[in-house]
Amino acid sequence: MDCIISIELGTNAVRVYAFDLKGATIAFAKGSYPTFHPYPDYSEQDPEQIFITMLYVLKNLLNEKIHSQKHKVVSICFSASMHSLLAVDKHGAPLGNVITWADSRGQKEARALQDSPMAEKIYGVTGTPIHPMSPLVKIVWLKNLQQDIFRQTEKFMSLKSYIIQQLTGACVIDHSLSSATGLLDIYKREWDTTALEYAGIQADQLPEPVPINYSPGKLLTQYRVSLGLPAATKILVGSSDGCFATLGAGVWDDYKATVTIEDSAAVRVVGTSVLIDKKQRLFNYILDDTHYVSGGPSNSGGIVFEWFAKQFGDFKDAYDLETCMEDLMTEASTVDPGSERLLFLPYLLGERAPIWNAHARGVFFGVNINHERKHFARAVIEGIMYQMYSIEKMLQEHRNIKQISVNGSFASIPFCIQLIADIFNLPVSASTNASSVSMGAYLLSATDIGVYKSIEDAARSVTLSQACKPNIHNNNIYTGYYSVFENLIGKLGPDFEALARL
Amino acid sequence: MQIFPHIVSIGSKKNNAIQLESFHESIADFIRIFSIIDGKYEWQIRDEQYQLYPGDTVLVLPGRRLSSIKGFLEIGTIAWVHLRVERLDKGDFIAGEWSSLSDSERFTIGNILLSNKPVIRSRTDETSRIFGVLRNELFNHEIGFHTRVNQLLDELLVMITRQLTKQGNPGRDFPKTFLQLEQKLRENLSHQWSVEEMAATVGMGTTLFNVKVKTYTGFTPTNYLINLRIAESIKLLRKPELNFTDIALDTGFYSSQHFSTTFKKLTGYTPSEFRKKGSADS
Repeated sequence: MDCIISIELGTNAVRVYAFDLKGATIAFAKGSYPTFHPYPDYSEQDPEQIFITMLYVLKNLLNEKIHSQKHKVVSICFSASMHSLLAVDKHGAPLGNVITWADSRGQKEARALQDSPMAEKIYGVTGTPIHPMSPLVKIVWLKNLQQDIFRQTEKFMSLKSYIIQQLTGACVIDHSLSSATGLLDIYKREWDTTALEYAGIQADQLPEPVPINYSPGKLLTQYRVSLGLPAATKILVGSSDGCFATLGAGVWDDYKATVTIEDSAAVRVVGTSVLIDKKQRLFNYILDDTHYVSGGPSNSGGIVFEWFAKQFGDFKDAYDLETCMEDLMTEASTVDPGSERLLFLPYLLGERAPIWNAHARGVFFGVNINHERKHFARAVIEGIMYQMYSIEKMLQEHRNIKQISVNGSFASIPFCIQLIADIFNLPVSASTNASSVSMGAYLLSATDIGVYKSIEDAARSVTLSQACKPNIHNNNIYTGYYSVFENLIGKLGPDFEALARL
Repeated sequence: MQIFPHIVSIGSKKNNAIQLESFHESIADFIRIFSIIDGKYEWQIRDEQYQLYPGDTVLVLPGRRLSSIKGFLEIGTIAWVHLRVERLDKGDFIAGEWSSLSDSERFTIGNILLSNKPVIRSRTDETSRIFGVLRNELFNHEIGFHTRVNQLLDELLVMITRQLTKQGNPGRDFPKTFLQLEQKLRENLSHQWSVEEMAATVGMGTTLFNVKVKTYTGFTPTNYLINLRIAESIKLLRKPELNFTDIALDTGFYSSQHFSTTFKKLTGYTPSEFRKKGSADS
């Protein structure tokens, strides 16, 4: 049987899926790698460790579940987290670790760019909000503070570009990832001269931008032989995880949006036009030749509930976080909507959209003498969802969203699905696939070999679960709480700054 | 004490009055274990200052400086055991031949004591209980006391080691615990880590450790470590001045042959092909 392989280079782990040509998962394996924080603002990963982990996981999966079943691999498609930056010298050797999306060392550089007259132009042309996550800002940081590394850098790569270069020799970056660097003109699809000038680099110091269905060539012989793959196996560069998650959730019409909640989170829409936001709160990333994915990212996803569980949950067995979280979730579900007048702002890690405030912090508001742990647990979950709703509200200024499709491990929990439906007052369906990101990779690969006529056809083939309908009574309650939530954010702005200065 | 040459001193002291200049800075070539029974103490171990309270156990390793911040011994009661150990090169040490722990256990315990904080905060006060039993055994000389005393010393070392590692890893956040281990592995990649040693370093039993590592990383601990070794060797292969044997030993392989086989099995390249590929790219 022919099969399609998807390799997701995620934030914490590489996940490899094998699909048959109809899109059913026939094999899965993952291997995780750590993120290092040598200083509090830093988030780095070891590129060779990721490469070796990927190779090991892929090889085992092929040997144990693909070759042994006589399946034939038709193509391999990649996806990766956005905003990563890896400086590489003239011999192709990394100059240090990969700087990930979560790294905020460039706060000063981001602020300087925001305050400059270039900000509006660069944001408008590149579609990437000006923030420390942006590779543009990271390069400026290197230029200002690590001049040695900056001078020695032959190429500023993304993690995925580096991995693909190791495997095939080609130095490329797909349009989706490149449109999240703050350096690409998302209309012309070439590196933007203004942004390059601001970063102090030349276009040839970046990989070549290519469409997501571009093939960078064959695997180098040794890798191909070692993996036991036929010479005809096609490699597709693929997309970013965010764009694939949206495609894989079957969102194609402009009245639909996806809510993705893993550790971090995002609300996204798809369309043929770029959404122009005067306050520069939205991203616009390239999906394919005609479509853009627009939306807002949040730091405050499942990681916030995990924090709560780790600190305040019961651990019947050491390190059994899953059971601990399930128990808390069950406790939370016994509390009425609104958590009996307890509200939570989930900004433990600062926040991106829509407030874009790195100094925002978590707040419990309205604590009274009758509140128990279960109220706090529910307030935390409701707070995460109010935050998601604030991004969706911002998108409603541009689109008339009538339907939500959720994916990601946290958003797909039935209790969370109902909360989203009630808070957003919209019908919510869940992806039936284990991973929307890899489903997206499958849809692209399957279209490439002619299973679907177009990406659009492929997106429409995605089946979703029966929609969960909003409860009007609960929605009324949440609407009241949400307005307090919104007020609090506005009022606390100066105090978040004051706290950061202490 | 002639039958216990490794016990330098054991005792307890109730201090009723302050004697100025009574506590001088000292460095010993044996382990000093103190149990705080009563009172409040301010001591300095190496360059760190510690406030000590009843129930705390203090561990001053060979060669480490101990002093009192005020220069005298505060009012209260403390008990101690001073224990001679075998010093190895590189500053590490192991319990002597009197111990019935295995070689690798003694080695691991030595490493864990070296790399953790020197104070255990505890409400149960296991240390002073063991001290009490030890003193009774040494005083009474009942049948079997020779074996019993050495067993109690082993028990003391094991208890302290377990409490130290558990203190840093409360059993909630596995990713955080695992990251601590990863950093220790990277700092000492050339060491021949066993799974028991990796587990003990983060205060876990081997059974739970194996399960958790597999679920969290997707690899067995041994395979995870092999990946780390190979990833590090790739970086070293890019440095033309290093030879394969050095790279192999630095990254924890037994020999350049072992390195070459493992490297080829995973990547399809031998180390020398990989190095040539790297220089051909540029």
